[in-house]
Amino acid sequence: MRTVSLEQTTHPVLIFWIIAGWVGYCILPWYGVEGFWSFEWLVDGWPLDDDYAPAAVLVGVGQKLWLAPMLLALAAPLLVLGRRKTDPLYAQVLIAAGGFGFAWLVAQGLGIGLRGFTAEWLTTLFGTLDDRQFGMGYGAMVTASAFLFLFTHGIAARGAINGDVFVTSAIGGVIAVVTIFVFFPITKMLLAAFATDDGGYSVLGFFPKFFDDRIWGLDCLSGGRCGVAWNSLLLAVLVGVLTTLLGLAFALVLTRSGFRYKRLLRALTVLPIITPPFVIGLAIILLFGLSGTVTTSLAAMFGVEATRWIYGLPGILIAQLLAFTPIAFLVLIGVVEGVSPSMEEAAQTLRANRWQTFRTVSWPLMRPGLANAFLLGFIESMADFGNPLVLGGNFDVLSTEIFFAIVGAQYDQSRAAILAVVLLGFTLGAFYLQRFWLGRKSYTTVTGKGDAGVHPPMPNGLAYPVYAVVALWSAFTLVVYGMILYGSVVQLWGVDDTLTFKHYLTAFRIDWTEDGLRWTGSAWDSFWTTMTIATLAAPLTAAIGLITAYLLTRQTFAGKRAFEFGTMLSFAIPGTVIGVAYILAFNVPPIEITGTGLILVISFIFRNMPVGVRAGIASMSQLDKSLDESSLTLGANSWQTFRAVILPLLRPAILAALVYSFVRAMTAISAVIFLVSARYDMSTSYIIGRVENNDYGLAIAYSTALIFVMLAAVGLLQLLVGRTRIGRRTSHGEIH
Amino acid sequence: MMKRTFAAALTSATALSGTAALADLNLYCSAQEEWCQIMEKSFEEATGIDVAMTRKSSGETFAQIQAEASNPKGDVWWGGTGDPHLQAAEEDLTEPYVSPMRDQLHPWAIAQAESAGDKTIGIYSGALGFGYNSEMLEKAGLPAPACWEDLTKPEYKGMVQMANPNSSGTAYTTLASMVQMFGEDGGFDYMKRLHANINQYTKSGSAPIKAAGQGETLIGIVFMHDAVATTVAGFPVVTVAPCEGTGYEIGSMSIIKGARNMDEAKAFYDWALSKEAQDLALQVNAFQVMSNVGATKSDKAPDLASIKLIDYDFKKYGSSDERKRLLSKWDTEVSTLPQ
Amino acid sequence: MTGINAKAASVRFENVSKVYGTKVTAVDNISLEVRAGTLVTLLGPSGCGKTTTLRMIAGLEMATRGRIFIGEKDVTKLPATDRDVSMVFQSYALFPHMTVMENVSYGLKFSGFDKAETKDKALAGLGLVGLTGYGDRLPSELSGGQQQRVAVARALVLEPQVLLFDEPLSNLDAKLRRQVREEIREIQQNLGLTVVYVTHDQEEALAVSDEIVVMRNAAIAQKGTPRELYEAPADAFVADFIGEANLIPVDIVALDGDTATVRIADYTHRLPSRGLPQGPAKLAVRPSRMRLVAGVGDGVPAVIDKATYVGSRMEYTVTAAFGTVFAVLDDVTTPFRIGDAVTISFAASGPVLIPASQPS
Repeated sequence: MRTVSLEQTTHPVLIFWIIAGWVGYCILPWYGVEGFWSFEWLVDGWPLDDDYAPAAVLVGVGQKLWLAPMLLALAAPLLVLGRRKTDPLYAQVLIAAGGFGFAWLVAQGLGIGLRGFTAEWLTTLFGTLDDRQFGMGYGAMVTASAFLFLFTHGIAARGAINGDVFVTSAIGGVIAVVTIFVFFPITKMLLAAFATDDGGYSVLGFFPKFFDDRIWGLDCLSGGRCGVAWNSLLLAVLVGVLTTLLGLAFALVLTRSGFRYKRLLRALTVLPIITPPFVIGLAIILLFGLSGTVTTSLAAMFGVEATRWIYGLPGILIAQLLAFTPIAFLVLIGVVEGVSPSMEEAAQTLRANRWQTFRTVSWPLMRPGLANAFLLGFIESMADFGNPLVLGGNFDVLSTEIFFAIVGAQYDQSRAAILAVVLLGFTLGAFYLQRFWLGRKSYTTVTGKGDAGVHPPMPNGLAYPVYAVVALWSAFTLVVYGMILYGSVVQLWGVDDTLTFKHYLTAFRIDWTEDGLRWTGSAWDSFWTTMTIATLAAPLTAAIGLITAYLLTRQTFAGKRAFEFGTMLSFAIPGTVIGVAYILAFNVPPIEITGTGLILVISFIFRNMPVGVRAGIASMSQLDKSLDESSLTLGANSWQTFRAVILPLLRPAILAALVYSFVRAMTAISAVIFLVSARYDMSTSYIIGRVENNDYGLAIAYSTALIFVMLAAVGLLQLLVGRTRIGRRTSHGEIH
Repeated sequence: MMKRTFAAALTSATALSGTAALADLNLYCSAQEEWCQIMEKSFEEATGIDVAMTRKSSGETFAQIQAEASNPKGDVWWGGTGDPHLQAAEEDLTEPYVSPMRDQLHPWAIAQAESAGDKTIGIYSGALGFGYNSEMLEKAGLPAPACWEDLTKPEYKGMVQMANPNSSGTAYTTLASMVQMFGEDGGFDYMKRLHANINQYTKSGSAPIKAAGQGETLIGIVFMHDAVATTVAGFPVVTVAPCEGTGYEIGSMSIIKGARNMDEAKAFYDWALSKEAQDLALQVNAFQVMSNVGATKSDKAPDLASIKLIDYDFKKYGSSDERKRLLSKWDTEVSTLPQ
Repeated sequence: MTGINAKAASVRFENVSKVYGTKVTAVDNISLEVRAGTLVTLLGPSGCGKTTTLRMIAGLEMATRGRIFIGEKDVTKLPATDRDVSMVFQSYALFPHMTVMENVSYGLKFSGFDKAETKDKALAGLGLVGLTGYGDRLPSELSGGQQQRVAVARALVLEPQVLLFDEPLSNLDAKLRRQVREEIREIQQNLGLTVVYVTHDQEEALAVSDEIVVMRNAAIAQKGTPRELYEAPADAFVADFIGEANLIPVDIVALDGDTATVRIADYTHRLPSRGLPQGPAKLAVRPSRMRLVAGVGDGVPAVIDKATYVGSRMEYTVTAAFGTVFAVLDDVTTPFRIGDAVTISFAASGPVLIPASQPS
């Protein structure tokens, strides 16, 4: 029989959250404890010791009385047990209790800090507080989650989002975490844009700094130098357009040609994404620099005078194209595969030739993918700072300027914040331009009807240039990676070409001793930390990203646009700013997580989540909505629908999100450099240390090793995620 | 369900949590990696105090200490050029301390401490200079530069590299040194003439000499110990101590205000000023001159005694007002000139 | 062998409205009842609100106002998942990554059946639609008609209280359409299912329905059995939408109890007044209820404009003083020719009076 047990008993998930709230309040330590996982606190005075006490005990002995009001909010939901969901009281109680509990928890956390009240007006209002509190711990976290989800249960019971508990909870959850880990730190950072030298805030002071000539100057039109804003914009547009076109070319060759070695090509396109920063830049210098291989041989052969042309826009452009084309490719491959072959076949039967079919059907249907790929390329380029650092020459861009405004000789946080505002403005512009271009058209191509078509090959007029571009770019990529591999096995890159394995030995030595295996190589520590953190961050990033994409494409709710933009925000701001913003926001209560591995995981999740979101949106907008609806009418709830119908059809997007977030966690540097700590040092910050110390061999050897590790990991992920069998025929006619 | 995601987040949070490091001493280190590591290990061996070390450039460390001011995570900050240390002292981010080891130090190290109200102290010093790629020089058939003034000669046009003073402490030291050597007008006049020969203002201070090592530029203006290190790493770089004399930096050490492990921080501070600790520099190819009078000198290190050092006014040129003034003057008067 | 049984329940709408945003009213204050075990069709032109009504039964749209009952249960605020309703989509919405068997078992998995039961039910469902042995195929390996049947089986196996069809036949060819619609009707009657069926094809509606609800502009224009609607349309819209009707302007010149005397030009005709007052009205006459006689006689004189032979009958377009009408005659042996003068009159039963102007 079909189980429609809903109105008899209370929803089990609701009961879970009510219990969780009490557990968080009465059993778990309320404030953060050192080394939670050691469970030392269990035997070290818990639950009565002040440091480890649950909130209930603290309140019970008359301490931290501001925690007491939450008891009300915990007790109230007990009223709804056994009540029908349609009972108005059910919704009202849950909304009131959850809302009040959450608001109070946040308010007391922000209002009372390490030195009592955190704001003047609180002291004026209530007098001086002679107590203080540390960062929230697991008790607070569990209780806060409980309040949040009680609230969303209440909202759902009132009929919001068709009364769907999963969707309301997901929206509530995503909004909460995005607010805490994106809006909160960035707001703190941006406030600095209005900071004055004497520590106050001023709106008037903002404008002269904002309209500074160094940002907006147009002297390059008359032979001088242009402002960083224009430089960044030019670069980002070029990179966005070119990465999209290159990514599309690779995607087309993979899906619409008879090319045989597709696997090889696929691996090649992913290679740059798994390359640690600086390495591509160094390779490009060794190829095209003043004393580079290509430059000197050209000079010898043709008598061309060697110049430093690579430093500046050309160099950054080449390096960024190498680095970001894979992202465009990963987004586009899903979309290009997703264009329904029967639409293309339909066009051909309507007397369109292959070229017309491509132009009028395939291309327009790829638009969501193209727009997303451009947006990602644009934003990546805006935020990238490793490549401009190495190859920028005198071509300044916003990201490096922000970095050096913070860490450079000026120590000017307010200038950094203003540059961040400019950068954010560009990102915002690109975002809305993309929306404008996509318009309101429907791009649904995977419908519920089985699709038995075959992608037609590209028209010749398109195929030849595409082959040429792909061949050239592949060759170029191979040369660059050949250089890198070579660099890791010579004594001193560019100077002493004796072959040696000493760099690998230094980094990854393993000794057998009486005590067993000993990891004596200098890189092991940072390597294992990086692996752990990347492994943790990747699935979480993909999960949050795809759930967000699902909410954005499949649900309507108030404030959806703002929500979407919020999820893109952390991606659009350079990592360095995020790094500083995280330190500013999370070094003090209520959330105190600097110096832990957790902050690294969190920063990766929210920096890389937008890729999951974009890939998810692009793929999901190609899935017909009737698929979800039929699943719902067949008795699956939203979560089951998401899991059984949407997710399997989203495999390319899942893979993209997983691969990207894993790899990003292993190769990112800009935010990381602020967040690493003694116990959680990451590979990239270790590698930069080697580069700074002229130890190129070791740096490149380590990077090369990481590339192979990541290749293996990507292969493993591909196996794990698998391919979705939807029974399209290949051009050879067999079903796979 | 969403909740499951949260459960997963919770589990991972559990695994990675710990709001403060468990170590007995949190060391922020701004020298190169090996030096930091050897300092960490040797101190642990010498005292048995467990050290957690984080290595970052001095600018980054300063930014971090600033951000962490209301809840410091670090105890002691060792290494890195003196300016950010002085700046930190000026912003009251560091703790005054008078070490019993002071009588073993060179006068310049103590002067550094006195100028900052004992909130920082010199641990090594390095003189500014430049290095050139000898192979390129030979190929181009150019004379070897020996003085600051040589760098402005037209034959080196497009061949000199230095860092951008806005982003690099090294380059700011260069600018301040010129102003102190030639007077403000003369100094800026020199910077303008030099500007004509500069092919690129790099972001990082040591980048110019690395570029010279790789043959990407002929001459790089850097600290001389960086140039020596590049030579030792195997690159054809020759280090030059300019004939007119030159400025220098004092690598410093400070205790962070509000440090959670104050006693251990002081123990490290004292130990770091000892001859044994300072002799470790040679094991990691650090060619600075150490502040302990008895510290062993490397034969590769530039001999400070043979270099004409100016009387560098760290107090004045390390202050943020003077720094801002000089930098904005450089920005408007020098960097905008055509090359 | 597990069979598929019905748990048919009624559906009741009480003053239900659906408003999108603040302006667009898709469904305006509808009340209707679908009795358990009957097949009711929602019929109307595109945009009339029929699909929205269907989706509100499914729980895919939530009513803005009013209440919806399935059986005796108020489901107004229940989401789709929690309603005991299945739906067959126009696009079929078969999950492309699952086999036929997986598709059909999909809903069963979420309904608390164990594996063996699920399999039995799914097989029974496939048997019912004549697709035994197709379980391992992917939807893309089936023909359109087969896909359609999988969609029906998938919905059927859940033994829903109400089964919904959203234009299920629109992707099929004409012959298949007739066949499948008969199968649907047969299954519905054999199992005693409650079915709500949306279509814009009046022939389909007439063929399968116990009752038809004609919708126009977000409201119900008329509801009744196919015969009632066909023979006694409430207004010109219904008359025209359910089968074709000639709408001829007439004057009611006399009322005698329930019988009205109407005049068209010089011809008078008596028929039930249906409560209309004296004055102008319209006479709705099905083409098959037109009588044509050669030459001049008792009736309205007219001329044949077009004559079409369609095998079983003749179709004529005829022009008279009041306008052009369409007539169908069974006599194919001695057809009229174009230009022939004829006299129009009407069959005794069939023509109905409807108000002159549409209710707004």
